[in-house]
Amino acid sequence: MANPLRGLARRLLGVRRTPTYYLPWLTRPDLQCVLLLNNVEARFKAGYTQGPFPVSACQYDADGAVVRRYEATLADNLDTAEVVLDAGAGGCGFVTVDTRRIHSDLYVTLSDGESYTATHGRGEFVEHYPARTRALVRGLGALLAVAGRTIPAFTRDQYVYDGADSRSHLLLMNLSNVPNRIRIVGGGEGHAAAARLVTLPPMGSRLVDVASLGPRGTGALSVRRIRLTGNAWFNLYVVGAGARDLDGPLSLMHVK
Amino acid sequence: MSSNRPSALLSTTFHEEGYDHLVELVHQRDSDARRHLESLDVALHDPDGKVLVSLPVDPRQELLDLGALVAAHAPGAGRLMVAFDARYDERIFPYRPHHYAYLHRRGSALPSLYYAVNAVLGGVPDRIGATGLNNFETYLFLRRGTGERHSVLLGNLSRFAPSDVEIFTYYGGARHAREMTLGPKAHLEVALDPEREGARLERVEVKALFRLASYVVGRRVSSGELVLFDHLFTYFK
Repeated sequence: MANPLRGLARRLLGVRRTPTYYLPWLTRPDLQCVLLLNNVEARFKAGYTQGPFPVSACQYDADGAVVRRYEATLADNLDTAEVVLDAGAGGCGFVTVDTRRIHSDLYVTLSDGESYTATHGRGEFVEHYPARTRALVRGLGALLAVAGRTIPAFTRDQYVYDGADSRSHLLLMNLSNVPNRIRIVGGGEGHAAAARLVTLPPMGSRLVDVASLGPRGTGALSVRRIRLTGNAWFNLYVVGAGARDLDGPLSLMHVK
Repeated sequence: MSSNRPSALLSTTFHEEGYDHLVELVHQRDSDARRHLESLDVALHDPDGKVLVSLPVDPRQELLDLGALVAAHAPGAGRLMVAFDARYDERIFPYRPHHYAYLHRRGSALPSLYYAVNAVLGGVPDRIGATGLNNFETYLFLRRGTGERHSVLLGNLSRFAPSDVEIFTYYGGARHAREMTLGPKAHLEVALDPEREGARLERVEVKALFRLASYVVGRRVSSGELVLFDHLFTYFK
């Protein structure tokens, strides 16, 4: 859908977009997830050079429930606050950060005790649907779901990799206050594209195992071309795994 | 609306032997998966800047198996800088001109990495519509670090000009500076001390005359395997 039409549709449906900075989180028994809150990129930016900078973060679990709110203060724009995240339902989700006083990319790290991986968050938005539109989306979405379909409001394409000793999974995040049915289409090389419908609760998340998308190709490392279509705004992070798959050390990486 | 004049992107990564390394040549697939680059040349450079191989790649490919390309054309060459010189319709990169890659040491239990390939000016400054200074970059480290070793990988993509580079590291408020010069197409890995006088590495800054290929790298101490391969951030957005 072209952008002007999208804007018109949003106005007609009463959808509001709230600018939001968010980062993904993952916890496992042997993995610690830490946020690095900072304002270092604003070091030379007018209006952002005088501290202290209060910063708050809100952690949502896989079901979209608030796990915990965190508060920190950065003494100046060279200060960094390291916030250890709690484990929450589903072991994954996202954290929103109030960035009114800070202007910097924030990091999230996953540590297995011997080393850590890291990525940064995204400055985007969360969509708020009014009650009547939520009811409409729920009703229409339920009807389409019977046929394994969803309202095709947003589409993303992503490559995922599947090998004997490494693979990439997808952490899907519903950045809206309406249930988001996301249709995932993609198969292994040489196989017909398989389709799967995943329903994310409002502000909820799901970790999609690439193995659930059908058999992998025959090569040592096969590539799956995945198309994701959702009825509301969503984004994803690629989750990297090694030989122990999701039981071993993991990495997170932003996409477009 | 796209113009008839193709856009251009000079992007760069580094490759080491033993890694699966797949580079996505398009940012994302269009609905029919038919858009592709108009042309793509790939060049491999050794640390001194010498061109080991330069060859055109079929622009219809969605992914390039960099590990296989290096094995075929420059086996045993150690760390290589890989330059991608692409021409493309602007719809290929609708958001910004960068693309991603998958990286994993074969047989390793450590996680695969996925990263954004560095877009570099490289002495051709009118190719990319960068609106701010992008040759003064920074990166933060986890202070409660777990023993990994960090470094910065730097490459000079300019054709003729050497570039002075300053690397500043910060430990508990103390600043340490290093200076070096990179010749045209030369590249190096600069190790960062994990600790100085009891303080952990907190931050690194890289300043250069012009945009360099730059990545922050983390390695497992026990094996040297990559656990971090990330771009730095500019101070000026």
